[in-house]
Amino acid sequence: MSETRHGTSEELLALRDGEGSAWVRAHVAECPACAAELERLEQVRARLRALPSYAPPRDVWPVVLEATRRERRRRRWSAWSGIAAAAAVLVLGVAVMRHSKGPSPEDVALQKAMAESAAMEQMFEAMHPDRRTLSGQAASVVADLEDQLAQVDAALNDTVTWRGDPERVAGLWKQRAGLLSALVDVHETRASYAGL
Amino acid sequence: MADTLPLAEAKSLVARARAGDYAALEQLYRAYERPVYTLARRLTKSADDAEDVLQETFLEVCRSLRQWRGDGSLWGWIRTIAASKALMRYRREKLREWEPLEDELGAGSRAEDVPLQLDLEAALAKLPERSRAVVWLHDVEGYTHEEIAELMGMTTSFSKSQLARAHDRLRRWLGAGVQA
Repeated sequence: MSETRHGTSEELLALRDGEGSAWVRAHVAECPACAAELERLEQVRARLRALPSYAPPRDVWPVVLEATRRERRRRRWSAWSGIAAAAAVLVLGVAVMRHSKGPSPEDVALQKAMAESAAMEQMFEAMHPDRRTLSGQAASVVADLEDQLAQVDAALNDTVTWRGDPERVAGLWKQRAGLLSALVDVHETRASYAGL
Repeated sequence: MADTLPLAEAKSLVARARAGDYAALEQLYRAYERPVYTLARRLTKSADDAEDVLQETFLEVCRSLRQWRGDGSLWGWIRTIAASKALMRYRREKLREWEPLEDELGAGSRAEDVPLQLDLEAALAKLPERSRAVVWLHDVEGYTHEEIAELMGMTTSFSKSQLARAHDRLRRWLGAGVQA
């Protein structure tokens, strides 16, 4: 026998898991007691894996669904309200400028893009997108559009953006209106396809 | 446990769920509610705790769907969230487990074992929570000691020694034979 002592549980478990030391490997090959213990440890693992699974006693899906809906609505509202607050500051600034020397063409373009975006937002929300079922392909398009929308919202939520190039800001609002319009199109197509 | 959904189906459901399709989200929930609840039952001390873990896990899954990139098993990703939620309860509750002294266990002395003839389910339930968690995560779910150490905020050697001590106890309670 390799040594007078037996393998410890930790050593035998390591061997069972394919990581044992050369000593314990050699020892188990010669020691019937340790070989039996190794076999027992393997059996315990097999029996543990064969234990039956549990079914949840209550259906918690309605709770998860409601909480998720609430959270998504709150996130959307929070992004929108941040942008609206930033926009309000800008519109106030534009009004002051208009009073002194009249609105510039950039300001007019910006206000137009913001109004378009707000109209599209209203149209999109009126479709209740979170209550609709989508096909895999439509879902992938929507997910991509929502990712882009999140990026535009993040840029518009950044005050540095507003202090910078007014043309870029107007461009972001136009992009936002375009993305919302595309989302409306996807949901409309899906709704007419499904006969809703 | 093997993933209950093929990867292509999982990817399609996740894409739809990300886009706000709640029917797809429910399909994901239905596919994984039982394995998540079973894991939670094994890692927590009561059915109520397990139900809380099930709920917390799926809220987190719904919140973080964008983080699953589809390059690994969806079950693997959900399972890690569930295990973290269950193990977090130990830290939150600052659980102090009763740890018997080594001589109470007859540590290492296989010849002195006095089998209590418990069945495996009862013996598993009798283990202290942390030990049971290590046994379940390692022997059933296939986590490595490194992964368990990371999940539990402990060292790898802690995970190894917990596993060995848990098996010493199981041997004592089950005897040489193993009853299911």
